[in-house]
Amino acid sequence: MRDHVSDGDLLLYAACELDGERCAAVDNHVGACPVCAHRIHYLEESVAEFAQLESSAVDPYVPSPEPARARLAAQLARPRRWALAFPAMAAAILLVITGAALLLRRGPDRHVERPDPGLTPGSIVSTSAQMLCAEPEREPPPIDPAVAKSVFDRYGIAPAPGNYELDYLVTPALGGSADASNLWPQRYDAGEWNSRVKDALEDRLRSMVCSGEVDLATAQSELAADWIGAYRRRFGTARPLLNHFAFVKDRPWE
Amino acid sequence: MGVPASIPFVSEHAAAGQERLEQEVVALFDQLRTPLFRFLLGQGLDAADAEEVIQEAFLALFEHLRSEKPRTNLRGWVFKVAHNQALKLLRRSGARATPLEDFAAAPDPTPEQRVQDNQRYRQLLAVMRALGPQDRAVLQLRAEGLRYREIAGVLDISLGSVAVSMERALARIEAARQ
Repeated sequence: MRDHVSDGDLLLYAACELDGERCAAVDNHVGACPVCAHRIHYLEESVAEFAQLESSAVDPYVPSPEPARARLAAQLARPRRWALAFPAMAAAILLVITGAALLLRRGPDRHVERPDPGLTPGSIVSTSAQMLCAEPEREPPPIDPAVAKSVFDRYGIAPAPGNYELDYLVTPALGGSADASNLWPQRYDAGEWNSRVKDALEDRLRSMVCSGEVDLATAQSELAADWIGAYRRRFGTARPLLNHFAFVKDRPWE
Repeated sequence: MGVPASIPFVSEHAAAGQERLEQEVVALFDQLRTPLFRFLLGQGLDAADAEEVIQEAFLALFEHLRSEKPRTNLRGWVFKVAHNQALKLLRRSGARATPLEDFAAAPDPTPEQRVQDNQRYRQLLAVMRALGPQDRAVLQLRAEGLRYREIAGVLDISLGSVAVSMERALARIEAARQ
């Protein structure tokens, strides 16, 4: 009789999770080796005993599920549309003020591009800073072409290829959804306050959220209400920093 | 990939779909909450943190399903999210993960029950403390009925590492008995 099979392999074998060749070899051995056959039972019983011990020791102390269940059900049923009255109003007021200012003077801000709060109030998915920061930032989900077209149509824009980025008002990296209500066409490189500058702000806000400096709801609200004001506050500058202006991250919408 | 419909424009059909998804998630919550609780307490979380992690995991599951991502092995998916969250919390608090620490202070129903539970609790504590974090996690997940391949997925380790961890965990328990 050759050496006995390791406990690890015996466990995998008993669970039918060994790969074909190895499984056949262990099967041959166990068929002829009462020690290993007995060992399988012993190991499996040990696992079952542990499970029983853990369950009998812990279960009496597990809090009643009802409050947690009710909280979960309530959170799931909550409308996911995010249209806080205050940020939407603030954005609308800012838009009016900006419009008035533009009538009075033509300056570097004449390229200011903000989403229409009526068309793009911003919307989020149910999540938390913990969940968002648990994993590295991923590429935003692809946008359905039909949804993209509807966003451009609603804004009355026929985009020339490469000129626009279809941007998430609240970035998915901070819990923004892929709903049309969170999407707006942003000029890719025209003006100072372009999509590249906004990308830099999003990166800054995400790192602040993940380090606990800013809570998630505040970051989302800043992006939805007035991202340019947020950029000015967060970077302590009236105009986009040069390195952000040249910052390239997302591909333009083709 | 489809884009989730915006709530203000959802059709009745989509609303019914959303409700079905909510029911599915709550049903999975009912099924998995106690196993997840056991697992997270054993990983060193206190009861309040365990409850929070479980809530977050099921909210994440809802979004996962809502965006029509793969439905294979949702149990393993939930355990994986919960485990990652637990690790993050433990890292952030800087605390050494001491399994079942807070749990000892939980109120007992009756004095008889307390004596009986305390014995089991002490036994369990002795076993848990004898194991390293990965071995403990592997053994706990197996005790919850996960397949070894699922365990490898939850902990992001190879099947071989799962087997080695099981072997080591059971050897420690065996040694403690003698």
